Amino acid sequence: MAEKAILYDATRCTACRGCQAACKQWNENDEFIPTEENGVKAANRGSYENPPDLSPRTWVKMEFRETDAGGAVRWLFSRRACMHCTEAACVKVCPSGALYHHELGFVAYDKDICTGCGYCIDACPFNVPRSDRNLITGIAKMDKCTFCTTPGLDRIAQGWEPACVKTCPPKALQYGDRNQLIAEGKKRVESLIARGWANANLYGEKELGGLHVMYVLDDHPAVYGLPVDPQISAATIAWQDVIQPVGWVVGGLTILGLGLNYLVARASVNSDKEKENAARS
Amino acid sequence: MPQEVEKYRKPTRILHWVHMVSFCLLFLTGLVLFIPGLGIIAQDSWTRVIHRIAAAIFIIAPLIYIPLNLKATAKGIKEAFSWGIEDIGWLKAAPRYYFLGDESDMPPQGAMNTGQKLWWLIVLVSSVVFTITGLIMWFAKTTASPAVLQWMVFLHDIAFIGASSMLLLHIYLGVIHPTMTEAWKAIYKGTVSVGYAKKHHAKWYEEVTRRKEVKS
Repeated sequence: MAEKAILYDATRCTACRGCQAACKQWNENDEFIPTEENGVKAANRGSYENPPDLSPRTWVKMEFRETDAGGAVRWLFSRRACMHCTEAACVKVCPSGALYHHELGFVAYDKDICTGCGYCIDACPFNVPRSDRNLITGIAKMDKCTFCTTPGLDRIAQGWEPACVKTCPPKALQYGDRNQLIAEGKKRVESLIARGWANANLYGEKELGGLHVMYVLDDHPAVYGLPVDPQISAATIAWQDVIQPVGWVVGGLTILGLGLNYLVARASVNSDKEKENAARS
Repeated sequence: MPQEVEKYRKPTRILHWVHMVSFCLLFLTGLVLFIPGLGIIAQDSWTRVIHRIAAAIFIIAPLIYIPLNLKATAKGIKEAFSWGIEDIGWLKAAPRYYFLGDESDMPPQGAMNTGQKLWWLIVLVSSVVFTITGLIMWFAKTTASPAVLQWMVFLHDIAFIGASSMLLLHIYLGVIHPTMTEAWKAIYKGTVSVGYAKKHHAKWYEEVTRRKEVKS
């Protein structure tokens, strides 16, 4: 099946945060309105950004950046959520198989079988998954953008677009076949370059085997706070591709060796006993 | 009744069994993270709760034992790091002994033979690694950097692979191996027969008989 993706055009985004609200509304991730009664204090963090970070109940969040462009201030908006990598570090480290690749390419998960180990949180090159964690017992569950595939709330299976895309007023978010969106994104980048945005680029086409959330940017990805050339960490590779296979070999050989030893040692003990018996009689 | 000689004192035996039970719980609740098919058992984190209770016992038990048994602790740690030329002789003779029961080439052994010493060294080192990396993963899960946490898992896994495969060997030799007839008794009742001591731990037997009377 053709892979699906989201294309986010930062140059069209007005940072209305409709996507944040639609995501919460569709996925039933209520946020507490800060009042004294519900125990959440309002705080001024000196930014329009709200809430301050992704959380188990905030799967998409708009970021605001002020940059200095030759003496003029530029106010940049970017979308922060799961990038749905093809080479997904979270899927690689998930010990229970709760995280997996959906047949349409993006990274979905089965929250029921999540053990709350938190490995995905440490492995993600984009620092996306979040969990509520009891530090003493370690009881936790991971949450992140599901690409609107949460069982019972699955928009994709219905043939609908994700809630964030559906709601986006300036059409900065598009949903469709990944290949088509790449072509569209490139066209958009070309037109930006033609209009003088020399650093315009399409982010996510090749990164980590291809992301399923791609960005049209009018400047270098680093300016938008995106990792340039994100990689699966050395620790993830050393642990998953070296140590775990070695573990299986060592464990297997140990069990095999012990079994073999038992058979040989028992046979030799028995033959010694027979010899003793024969000598006695 | 054959003459018996004390091999392990009661506090040492209690520590052994407390550690054994807690380690087996830690082993099993850790193993579920190695086998994706067992992930279903770990859902809702309850294996992690057991892992942590067992970890607390695993860490606290020696912390109680050590101040009450300072002499034995010092002797034990010294023994783990005392290696000599006889150990090579043991390693050479071991395959013939453990497979064929032929101990003609076995050099006389102290209280711990080379294999036991090796296991004891692994227990000491892996316990320290497990404890340090485990405590960081437990209490610094939300504060340490992701890279640090990932390398902690990596080291925890190496200790797991080394200690667990040697644990299988340890259990096998203590309980299943056809010629290890008195190892179980030594750690359960605390004594071995004089004959067994002479045969398997000649150097140690010589030492204890010089020091005190043999228990009957």
